[in-house]
This record gives sequence, C-alpha cells and structure tokens, in this order.
Amino acid sequence: TGGHTTEILRLLSCLSESYSPRHYVLADSDKMSEAKIRSFEQKRAETFSKSQFSLDRIPRSREVRQSWISSVLTTLYSILYSLPLTYKRKPDLILCNGPGTCVPVCLSAFLLGLLRIKRTIIVYVESICRVETLSLSGKILYYFSDYFIVQWPDLKKKYPKSVYLGRIV
Amino acid sequence: FRFKDSLAEDLQGADLVISHAGAGSCLETLEKGKPLIVVINDKLMDNHQLELARQLHRDGYVLYCDCSTLVETLQSMDLPALKPFPPGQPEKFASFLDKVFGLQ
Repeated sequence: TGGHTTEILRLLSCLSESYSPRHYVLADSDKMSEAKIRSFEQKRAETFSKSQFSLDRIPRSREVRQSWISSVLTTLYSILYSLPLTYKRKPDLILCNGPGTCVPVCLSAFLLGLLRIKRTIIVYVESICRVETLSLSGKILYYFSDYFIVQWPDLKKKYPKSVYLGRIV
Repeated sequence: FRFKDSLAEDLQGADLVISHAGAGSCLETLEKGKPLIVVINDKLMDNHQLELARQLHRDGYVLYCDCSTLVETLQSMDLPALKPFPPGQPEKFASFLDKVFGLQ
C-alpha cells in the first residue's frame, strides 16, 4: 500500500542489478502501488537494459483493526495462497517493510525453508514511521526474519537482535 | 481539492505547510525543505502516527500542535529555528545487503 510502496522503492533505488529479477507481491485490493512500481522499473530499465521484474497479487491478509480471530484465519488463508507463489519463484531474498501482505509471503518462505525446499533470506525493514513501537507485522517477523532493520535508535534498544543503519529511506 | 495524485507541485510553491501527521505528508514536505506545522487530530488517528511527528518535533524539524492551538502556533512560530531535514541514506541499505550476499 501507498506509504509502504514508496519506502520500499526507495530501499531498492541503490541496489545493483545483482538483485534481479524482482518479483513484487501486492495485495489484491491495492490500486495505487502498481503504477508506482511500473514507473520505478521503467526508469530503471533506462539504465539497466536487461532489468526484469514481475507483479503478483495475493488476497489481503488483514484489514485495519480486523478482529484477532478472523485475522488468524485470513492470514492462514493468505499463507496457503502464497505457498504456490513462493514455491514457483523460490526467491533467494525476500525484502519487505511491513504491510500485512508481507507476513504470509515471509511465513510461506520460512515454511519452505523448514521443509528444506528452498532457503530464502528474509530481510525486514521496519517503516520510518515506527520510532518507538513495532508494527504488528514487525512484531511477528522479528522472530522469522534473518535480518530485521529498524530506523530509529529507540527500537534498536528495545529489540536488540535488530540492525540499526540510521534512516535509510 | 480532496485528492490529488501528487502534491509535489503544490509543495514546491508553498512557503509554509500545515499538515496532519501522516508520514508521507511530513516526509515529502521536509524533503522539499518547506517549513512544516504538524496538526494532531486525536480522534482520527492511530496512535502510532504520533510517534513520527513527535520525534520530528523533538529533533527540531517541525512545529507541532493540535486543532485548538493552531492559531496560537501560527502567531508565535519561529520558522528559521527549524532545522533542515537531512535525506535518508538508502545506499547504506544497499551496502548492508551486498555484505550479506558477499557482493562487496
């Protein structure tokens, strides 16, 4: 969704073409991100002609303020839905920054890792909006990610296993 | 207007911006180097939106008030005292990832 997409595209802005092809996963209800992504990739293709990317959509795992029980069910459904996608792409790296959409994708990759099908490195970057507390996605993925990056020192103190690089977006 | 795809043009021409505490609005304004007053709306907002506005205020980048104190803030504001907002550094992130994958 909006803010998350802008942040993640900024994170991608300095990456070399080793990080290619890029597969973007969006919530089915997200109308705005696709345009931003295409615009980013188009500009990128001007510099790196062999640049490749794809877009996939998955059902949104949770609405804002959705109840706990129904969130668990919708998230489980999203994980099952993500499994074939993650299996097909078998990414070396998953990069995410907090929308509910990323939780099922990461958990499905984590599962494929446990089953020894594909070991994916999961890198989570908490949004710059999170100064003192983690988002719900962050609280969950703190335990499942390989690298958990925060952008403010208070969070580094509270979550010692995290990585603090300062403001990166 | 209610919604526009991009406020970039409007921001460019502004001398002062008064905004809600949405991160996108705050950051976009600060990055354009425009002085910003953030207005908090307790009733509408998610608690976590306050975190960023509060931190930006603590660090001296923005002025901060609620709907009832806006007029007072406008009357007493000292805009030159606001600090310029340094840009984020995505290159640090790229560097970090390159190390993780042994690409350096």
